[in-house]
Amino acid sequence: MASVRAVLEFLADSTLKTGLPVPVPMEEVYSWAIPLGLPRSGRVHLYTGALYQLMPYIERLGRYLESLEGSRSAAAILRLARALIAAPRFTRTLLSPEPQALERPRAILSRIARFLGAAGYYVAYPYEGDLYSGVLLYDMGLDDAFAEVASRVYRVLKEAGAEEIVTVDPHTTHVMRSVYPKYVDGYDLEVRNYLEVLAEAVDSGRVRLRPRVREVVIHDPCFYARYEGIIEEPRRILRAAGVEVREPRRSGRMTYCCGGPVESISPRLASKIAETRLSELREESKTVVVMCPICYANLSRANRLGLRIIDIAEAFDVEV
Amino acid sequence: MDPLERALRDIERALGDEAFQEGVKRAARHAEERVPHILEEHPYLRELAREVRRVKEEVLSNLDHYIEEAMESLGRMGARAYLAGDASEAREIVAGIVGTGKTVVLSKSMTAEELGLREYLESLGNEVWETDLGQLLIQLEGGKPMHSVAPAVHLTRERVAALLREKLGLRVPPGTSPEEMVRLVRGFLREKFTSADVGISGANAIAAETGSIVLVENEGNIRLVTGLPPVHIAVAGVEKIVPTLLDALKVAIVQAAYDGLYPPNYINVISGPSATADIEHKRVRGAHGPLEVHVVLVDNGRRAALRDPLLSEQLRCIRCGRCQWECPVWQHTANLWGGPSYGGPMGVVWTAITRGVEEASGLALLCLGCARCDYVCPVEIPISRILRSLKARYSKRITRGV
Repeated sequence: MASVRAVLEFLADSTLKTGLPVPVPMEEVYSWAIPLGLPRSGRVHLYTGALYQLMPYIERLGRYLESLEGSRSAAAILRLARALIAAPRFTRTLLSPEPQALERPRAILSRIARFLGAAGYYVAYPYEGDLYSGVLLYDMGLDDAFAEVASRVYRVLKEAGAEEIVTVDPHTTHVMRSVYPKYVDGYDLEVRNYLEVLAEAVDSGRVRLRPRVREVVIHDPCFYARYEGIIEEPRRILRAAGVEVREPRRSGRMTYCCGGPVESISPRLASKIAETRLSELREESKTVVVMCPICYANLSRANRLGLRIIDIAEAFDVEV
Repeated sequence: MDPLERALRDIERALGDEAFQEGVKRAARHAEERVPHILEEHPYLRELAREVRRVKEEVLSNLDHYIEEAMESLGRMGARAYLAGDASEAREIVAGIVGTGKTVVLSKSMTAEELGLREYLESLGNEVWETDLGQLLIQLEGGKPMHSVAPAVHLTRERVAALLREKLGLRVPPGTSPEEMVRLVRGFLREKFTSADVGISGANAIAAETGSIVLVENEGNIRLVTGLPPVHIAVAGVEKIVPTLLDALKVAIVQAAYDGLYPPNYINVISGPSATADIEHKRVRGAHGPLEVHVVLVDNGRRAALRDPLLSEQLRCIRCGRCQWECPVWQHTANLWGGPSYGGPMGVVWTAITRGVEEASGLALLCLGCARCDYVCPVEIPISRILRSLKARYSKRITRGV
């Protein structure tokens, strides 16, 4: 275990100073949107909260801090944090995430933006303002830092004219919908999740989908299923696309965690929990659909069963 | 050693222990499947759980009053009631009743575990035996209970056989069936029951109105512990008090159902020392059961926790252990995560209540925040939210408030 204190302070420092939990140039977060030409202002904003884009970095950082074990000290980790905050371009060199790992989330996000467009839901995008929501700080109990981050994110979104935001992952959805109102005075953003938007468009016949896979077993993320009640929407979408959806033993409201949240404290425990989950998913199908970048990272890392793990946005296409 | 580091060290070992993993996983799966089935088959149980929640809230909103009422009623029934401020006071009260050189039989009690009662009485020169089979195995192993209702959930039959052979000298050759092992332990303990000077139990609930102690069980050892020796001592957290005997029975029923063992084999009601009215229908104290009943009500941080808006919610807990069965972390660590006596999601909070937030808060970092526990708790304790607030206190302390 890397020093818990150092990791917490790294996250808090970086988020407060750069708007991101790992200091990287902001282009890493928004470059995916440039080819799509999403407008900068509008009533409805696609707000990713950078979780998809940063997961490859967060994962590598965890590995890196672990590798410092022994020689590492809290002070050394904090010196590293300060150096990277001052020169975020160096982060990519230091952590060198696989180019493929960086490309995948970009492709997923642009698919999501296209789904929304097909549903007639035209979104603006804040680019440099697509800051990290601070959800990890909240999860780890760094309430003061989180409150500061939350006010800034809210201000930036409001200044871009957002009245409503569309979120794309369970943690950002939960924190923006159910946690921000408790931390930000006068918070009045309406928060919709893209699966809710898309399920509605599919139900009303505004969008037609086609499958990219024949059959999947569904892995509900805890934060959709238990915190935000998003259980039926992904199933309706997949079925409408003609994908056969199989349910694992523990699914829907009683879904089973991927183990990801304890990765920074006990990587071995996180991977054991993931293995347990993967073995019960495998009983239903060789293709696993996830809806959360943390689930994707943790299950993929423990995937020694040769399962195919895909994001729900990769499981279907819109018919044009 | 830092509590989190100690837990991580123990967990690391358990993750590599295949028998441990398999034992815990199998038991959890059974419970995960059994409880919903029980609740579906007996629809009144959910309603009873809601009633228990309301009853607990009522008591906690006026705890001092109910403690006083319970102590008065216990006295009226001929039992002696004590209120212990902390663990050491509780140990001393019990030690004062037991003395030294006695044989003591114990029925499984998480409160006794919290107090370190067995070890303390042994240190005073008493012969002390756990009589719940699982808890006896824990005593022989020298560890801690791995689940609040099923303490030996991590032991395979081979490991059990080895313990009985090595620690009790029982003839248990390899390949002995569980039935045979149970029979051998029964024979071994039978003699302890009849020769015991004192029986010590916990309590699932105590009725303030009548001073009745209610205990739910399956093995039948509690009936013997509380019935055969001349002296019975019950130790119970003050949060176990409920207004009436009917409420106390509801607690026992809900506890058994949500643990996955329903109907329970036995529910015991003890209202003071045994008595007979067979001569002229006049009640005479002391018959076949104990002549003396002592009830030690234990505070040990509970009343202080009442002042904490989140920790206070945990005081509704009826210790069914369902949050443990359902927790993905617990399913891989059992009670190695949680503190010296309690474990699992609720265990971390009980450690905070009984040993202080400082000791427990780092352990909360191992919570996934997945909230399965919140969904299965019969009395709707927001366990994952309490754990998040413990994380916040830990983070604040170690980062001095970033």
